[in-house]
Amino acid sequence: MIDVQGVSHVYPDGTRALDRVDLLIPDGDRLAIIGQNGSGKSTLVRHFNGLLRPTEGRVLLDGRPTADRRVAALAARVGLAFQDPDRQIFAGRVRTEVAFGPRNLGLRGAALETAVSGALASVGLVEQAERNPYDLGFSSRKLLALASVLAMGTPTVVFDEPTTGQDLRGAERIQAIVAELAAAGRTVIAISHDMRFVAESFARVVVMRAGRVILDGTPAEVFAEANWEELAGTYVEPPLAARIGARLGLGSTPTDGALIEALVGRSA
Amino acid sequence: MLHAETNLTSVPDYVLRPPAGFYRALNPATKLVIALCTAALAFVLRGWLAPILALVVVGATVARARLGRAFLPFVLATLPLLVSIVLINTFLYPGATDTLFVVGPFRATGSGLTVAGQASLRILAFALSVAVFALTTPTDDLLADLERRGLGRRASFVVGAAIQTIPRLAARAGEVADSQRARALDTQGSPWRRIRGIVPLAGPMISGALSEVEERTMALEARAFSAPARRATLRPMPDDQAQRVGRWLFGLATVVLIVATITGRLALP
Repeated sequence: MIDVQGVSHVYPDGTRALDRVDLLIPDGDRLAIIGQNGSGKSTLVRHFNGLLRPTEGRVLLDGRPTADRRVAALAARVGLAFQDPDRQIFAGRVRTEVAFGPRNLGLRGAALETAVSGALASVGLVEQAERNPYDLGFSSRKLLALASVLAMGTPTVVFDEPTTGQDLRGAERIQAIVAELAAAGRTVIAISHDMRFVAESFARVVVMRAGRVILDGTPAEVFAEANWEELAGTYVEPPLAARIGARLGLGSTPTDGALIEALVGRSA
Repeated sequence: MLHAETNLTSVPDYVLRPPAGFYRALNPATKLVIALCTAALAFVLRGWLAPILALVVVGATVARARLGRAFLPFVLATLPLLVSIVLINTFLYPGATDTLFVVGPFRATGSGLTVAGQASLRILAFALSVAVFALTTPTDDLLADLERRGLGRRASFVVGAAIQTIPRLAARAGEVADSQRARALDTQGSPWRRIRGIVPLAGPMISGALSEVEERTMALEARAFSAPARRATLRPMPDDQAQRVGRWLFGLATVVLIVATITGRLALP
């Protein structure tokens, strides 16, 4: 469980990126964090694994403050996949790159092999395992970066903009990964600007603006018409299904499935 | 008011960036000449006088440009080098016999200390004169001015890219380190652990820098970088007769002083 208690973060240049944020993320939660650029999303998730320390307040991970624990230790509990895969890829082979994280956590031999193969299978890169990562396209390198975090087997996985640069097939694969992780009882947190992905894959949506949490609820609650003005304030547009549902007077229908169900229900 | 070079009737302040204070308002070429001449004088001339005079010039410039605390990191950055210069020269200066005191097997000598003091002042004056220039002159202003004076477009790009590479690499280094620490790379552990972390940290830095060069080249070409037309600059660089004369005089005086000292016609204390 991650418990963010009154956390503020001020960067050395004086930018207040987080402003007294309170957020409780129970184990097994499927949480999406949305909001305009600069609203504090990335700063917030970097507090979960200790990359950033709060200027005020504290973050508890499984009941213990993160402030007095090393990032290398926290990384065993919270895996964070960054937005740009090229900021992390260094190995000459895809398999070696994926093995880097779990090896750092002490996995060796068959356990390491199982973790790496499982992660590669999840992202569909098994056949590319022996290739050089830089021979892959951007979207595949992005999947490789996700695999390298998945292989660490952390109870919590955080994805920063996982669907950026992905075509429909890639985005569906990431949705499947989120579903797989959730089914395994792991906590999944994602930062995204892809509202369809957010509505389809997550049970809870947190909206941020100017370093604060302004909305927190299920996709149906957050994307309900009553919140559109608030969402517009942080440059978030509800998913198409939600807008169609509202236009047709069907209530809050954030997903394609919810919209179809509402349409069927009305015509029945 | 009509802008002379751009024919724009009004140019907003964030484009023109009106400089604050006399020194900052000088033409970039004038500041470059002051910095280079001061650094050359401090570094080439022997003795105490030249580096002390250079430091006086730097000190006056720092006060004039109101650099304040921004200047401190540059002073602190020279400290490791200065400490090593003082220690090595004071205790290990070859041939020195005028012992001041003894520390274990090492003898501190007066002539070694003198050489160390002069070398330290030279390093300090050299580094700080360049630092003053860097702190008061935006890179794009300098390049625009040099290009206007005939520096080739490609040459100005190479100079600009080289200068801007350092802060970009520093920013990238932070992101790479965060990415690898998030994958449990322990950068705070034992020396062996730190050594093992070099490849995961350096790899993405180097590959990223190389691919960035390619991307920047294509982006420049896409924006007509090679077009033969003369480019207009949005920001005018203030220059006047006094500055032009001053640059030539300062430059000539520097060359004369250096030549006179090297050939033995002038002996400075």
